[in-house]
Amino acid sequence: MTAPTRRSLLAGAAALPLLPRAAIAQRRGGRLTVAADSEPPNLNPAIIASNGVFFVASKVIEPLAEAAYTGKDGLAPRLATAWEGAPDGRSMAFTLRQGVTWHDGRPFTSADVAFSALEVWKKHGNLGRAVFRNLEAVETPDAHTAIFRFAEPTPAQLIRNALPALTAVVPKHLYEGTDIMRNPANQKLVGTGPFRFAEWRPGEYTRLVRNPTYWQQDRPHLNEIVYRVLPDRAAAGNALEAEEIQLAAFSAVPLADLDRIAKVPGIKVYSNGYEGLTYQLVVEINHRRKELSDVRVRRAIAHAIDRDFVVRAIFRGYATTSQGPVPKYDRTFHAPDVAGYGFNPQRANALLDEAGHPRGADGIRFRLRLLPAPFFNETRQFGDYLRQALAAIGIEATIVSNDTPAHLRAVYTDRAFDITVASPVYRGDPAISTTILFQSGLPAGVPFANQYGYENAEVDTIIRQAAATIDDAERVRLYRALQKQVTDDVALVNVAEFSFITVARDNVLNVSNNPRWAVSNWSDVGFAG
Amino acid sequence: MADHRAFTLLRRRLLGVVPVFAIVVLGAFALLESAPGDAVDAYLAGIGGGDAAQVAALRAEWGLDQGPLPRFLAYLSALARLDLGWSSAFGRPVLDVVLARLPNTLLLMGMATLLALSLGSLLGIICGARPGSLHDRTISLAAIAIYAMPGFWLGLVLIVAFSVERRWLPSGGIETVASGLTGWDRAHDIGRHLVLPVLALGLVYMALYLRLMRDGMAELWAQDFVRAARARGMAGARLVLRHVARNALLPVVTMLGLQSASMLGGSVVIESVFAIPGLGRLASEAVARRDTPLLLGVMLLSAMVVMLVNLLVDLAYALLDPRVGSGTGG
Amino acid sequence: MTSKQDSSFSEEKEAKRLFPLDAAPPGARSEKFFGSFFQKRTSFLFRLLATGEGLAGLALLSALVAIALAAPFLAPGDPLAIKGDPLLRPWQNMAHPLGTDRLGRDVLSALIHGARTTLLVAVSAAAAALGIGITIGTIAGFLGGWVDEVLMRIAEAFQTVPAFLLTLALISVTGPRVPTIVLGIAIGAWMQPARITRAEILSLRERDFVAAARVIGMRPLEIAFREVLPNALTPVVSLAAVIVAAAVLIEAALSFLGFGDPNRVTWGSMIAEGRTVLRRAPFLSIIPGIGLVMTVLAVHLTGQGVAKALRTRRHMA
Repeated sequence: MTAPTRRSLLAGAAALPLLPRAAIAQRRGGRLTVAADSEPPNLNPAIIASNGVFFVASKVIEPLAEAAYTGKDGLAPRLATAWEGAPDGRSMAFTLRQGVTWHDGRPFTSADVAFSALEVWKKHGNLGRAVFRNLEAVETPDAHTAIFRFAEPTPAQLIRNALPALTAVVPKHLYEGTDIMRNPANQKLVGTGPFRFAEWRPGEYTRLVRNPTYWQQDRPHLNEIVYRVLPDRAAAGNALEAEEIQLAAFSAVPLADLDRIAKVPGIKVYSNGYEGLTYQLVVEINHRRKELSDVRVRRAIAHAIDRDFVVRAIFRGYATTSQGPVPKYDRTFHAPDVAGYGFNPQRANALLDEAGHPRGADGIRFRLRLLPAPFFNETRQFGDYLRQALAAIGIEATIVSNDTPAHLRAVYTDRAFDITVASPVYRGDPAISTTILFQSGLPAGVPFANQYGYENAEVDTIIRQAAATIDDAERVRLYRALQKQVTDDVALVNVAEFSFITVARDNVLNVSNNPRWAVSNWSDVGFAG
Repeated sequence: MADHRAFTLLRRRLLGVVPVFAIVVLGAFALLESAPGDAVDAYLAGIGGGDAAQVAALRAEWGLDQGPLPRFLAYLSALARLDLGWSSAFGRPVLDVVLARLPNTLLLMGMATLLALSLGSLLGIICGARPGSLHDRTISLAAIAIYAMPGFWLGLVLIVAFSVERRWLPSGGIETVASGLTGWDRAHDIGRHLVLPVLALGLVYMALYLRLMRDGMAELWAQDFVRAARARGMAGARLVLRHVARNALLPVVTMLGLQSASMLGGSVVIESVFAIPGLGRLASEAVARRDTPLLLGVMLLSAMVVMLVNLLVDLAYALLDPRVGSGTGG
Repeated sequence: MTSKQDSSFSEEKEAKRLFPLDAAPPGARSEKFFGSFFQKRTSFLFRLLATGEGLAGLALLSALVAIALAAPFLAPGDPLAIKGDPLLRPWQNMAHPLGTDRLGRDVLSALIHGARTTLLVAVSAAAAALGIGITIGTIAGFLGGWVDEVLMRIAEAFQTVPAFLLTLALISVTGPRVPTIVLGIAIGAWMQPARITRAEILSLRERDFVAAARVIGMRPLEIAFREVLPNALTPVVSLAAVIVAAAVLIEAALSFLGFGDPNRVTWGSMIAEGRTVLRRAPFLSIIPGIGLVMTVLAVHLTGQGVAKALRTRRHMA
């Protein structure tokens, strides 16, 4: 195995900020061309918290704070320079950065933050709506202070964890009194970030240019960033080798090609810089299906999967095995002591026999419909693998292949599946991204959530309690208990946690130097020379 | 006489347009309507989810909370005002999106057709001049072998060979992004970007023209007037070009018309391999994102292109072949 | 009156322009090809084999068909099963003579089973396209009038839309399974057979034997399908080669775009799967690629042989 394991990568990542980076001469200016595989029609990160939007928008519109490898709470200040939650969880005060102007020249003030929070995040944010549900008012005693008031006690820990992804501040003067969802500024972004939005040519590229009045002195280094649309999976690697682009993030170069491309002179592979965007490879199980409502059958499925093989063959080593719903990188919330389901086909077969599903004359116990999510190459390939793994324990799975909208409809609205391969993303706090996978009673049509009919009153209670708990340690305890319970129940099967790979020309500097690097502002990125 | 025939053709074609468009619109609408999942599902996948109220609000905003019939009628009435609607996938009017892509596709198709036609005809003449000879067999076989290659595979190999291993040509795109080039420099830049995709698309179709030309010529050798010409002592290249090639040109011209629709389909794959923002790729994106107005827009536009090509072919045919339609009804 | 003339004039022309791949000029076609084929089967087959193309094409084709039919014996078990280490090169491990793919599936058995699915898809799609096309063409040609008008407008609409796009859209909608892929390909390919059949029927329907059938009281559709159609089939059937070859390639392109049936292995899906490692393990896409080229070549050569054999017979006659 030549590919490094994730663990060694993480160790490398932690060591990175200590490297003497000043040793490399950095040149100002230049155009960085990067590969993009999607073109979101709405680029407003205050409305849409998705990596496709952040990839472009994070350079233009800034959040209150960004994730960092070092620093208090793992955060680096952006538009806010300090934050303090009240002990009763009813308020949180932000001190805002001074001397910041919008790209159109207007000053940035606390009124922009108040407007963004109340009118955009709370009303329109696809994830912000849940986090800021109890936000009642934002007081602005002066132009550089914003005090968030909550109707119910809200954990400061949750708000802190939400800062990098869910607090992009948009200019009040362009959005006030308009239809926010249809505001033209959702495409022609106006922000405070190091780059200004220049143009979007659908199907071709999006171009950002240097903001000469950025609040941080001598930043950014680059003159331009161009996102070139490359729809084909082989295209990014080729374009990178041909030096038509200098950087491909989000594993735009297929994992299978990394071993080779890493050896090409002038090209560097970065496997860190996405810790804050960890995805989880899971098998969703429809608990409404008779056979699958039996926990023994679900455990058998969990035992049938050789996680090491999956990491080795499908992720080429660029992933880690996983047993629970909070990834290992989140050392605060991850519960290390959950029941694991090792690769054990004998045990799986025994469990299925015990559950009363003997093999038929053809060796088959029962049949399932398997719907692999079409989102990643790896989810499709894991579907192929899972079909084989299930065949080994006498379950015949037929793969039903759907395109993206059909998959969403089938799984999350029609619930017409037996098992799926899914890839939920972990967003820094269990309350943002994890509880929705296990709480019961969600209406049909809410995607990437518990539509598989998992119901456990105890779990629902833990989720309710944790939501109202403001003490950090108690929250952690509750969410660890949640992990233990759902793993015990095999609400779904966690297989691996994976993030992405960045491949860049070696003259691009300061790549992957924070845990959300690809979706951070890149103000320090530049060319060597 | 020729004017009259041309006029009749024109009239027939134009009258035929309306029902054909109606069928295309109805068919494309019904197809996407029966697809599982709608534009909101596609959108939600892109943004990573949202809650129930948001999902409902989106459906209402995009008019997807109404049944298919009211939406279809609304689309038709907008179409009557030449309004192609709003693309949810791109957040801008359909007309803007499709018109921005049309020139790229026309350029790609035009150049690929030109390549296939000229190279195919040339090789076809060489082969057809001596049917059954060694070089006839070699060239024919090579052409079929290229035809038998999947276009995307040919494209990928060309990219690796000519833009990655040797950096002779760009690996994709229609022009250097945000280059600021104008005039001839820009044309030159676009030309360089088009070489590989045109080869990948055109070479595949070359075999068809080669075969037509070759078979057409082989067939004609046996005909009386050619034999007569031979007997009169007309020889070699002159005979080939004057009689045989000219007569074999007719089916080649008809093939042009037939090919226009098929090549538009083939460009879906080539445009995606070479990252060319064209209509073919746009159509598959429209399907993938359940953007019904956009798909309808692409279909209508491509139908118009195909019909126009066919009309031109018909006119050319009527002018080229004096035997067709001499007014006797057959 | 003029409109009638108009339409028949343009049909004759239509037949010519839609019929470029058949070398025989319309008038020179024999009337009872099928009858004579069955009576003088040996002699036709002999003439077919006597053409170099026919011999080579048929030999290749029968080899491919034999492999496809014998797949379960040649490579028993599920070809998608994970059998060994991933990405073994050919000849590296003789348990997997052609190597393994990214998940460790045996390339040789995938190739063999791939022949089966690929040929199945292509032949069924061609059969379906011909079936739909011939039926519609016969009805349109024989009944004429508004039925003809409607059917031909539909065919025209289908021809106006890029066929591959139609196939792609249909398969996105129905989900990629072998039957829907077959249907999708057929939906994009029935128009040409329909038009040619119709043109043939039009040229035949005023002939004596049709009048005779009318006299003895056969019903129109009966006449159409039992008397006229067999005489019109030759040119239509010679389209089969083109459609089969095209279907093989369309299936490959669909797989490339991610619309292959994931439960079956086809050469197209093998190429699509191998292309992410195109540079590192080119054999993964080259090996099935050779299969594709061979198949298309075999079909084409056979088609050419048939055309040639028909020509020689005409000259002899």
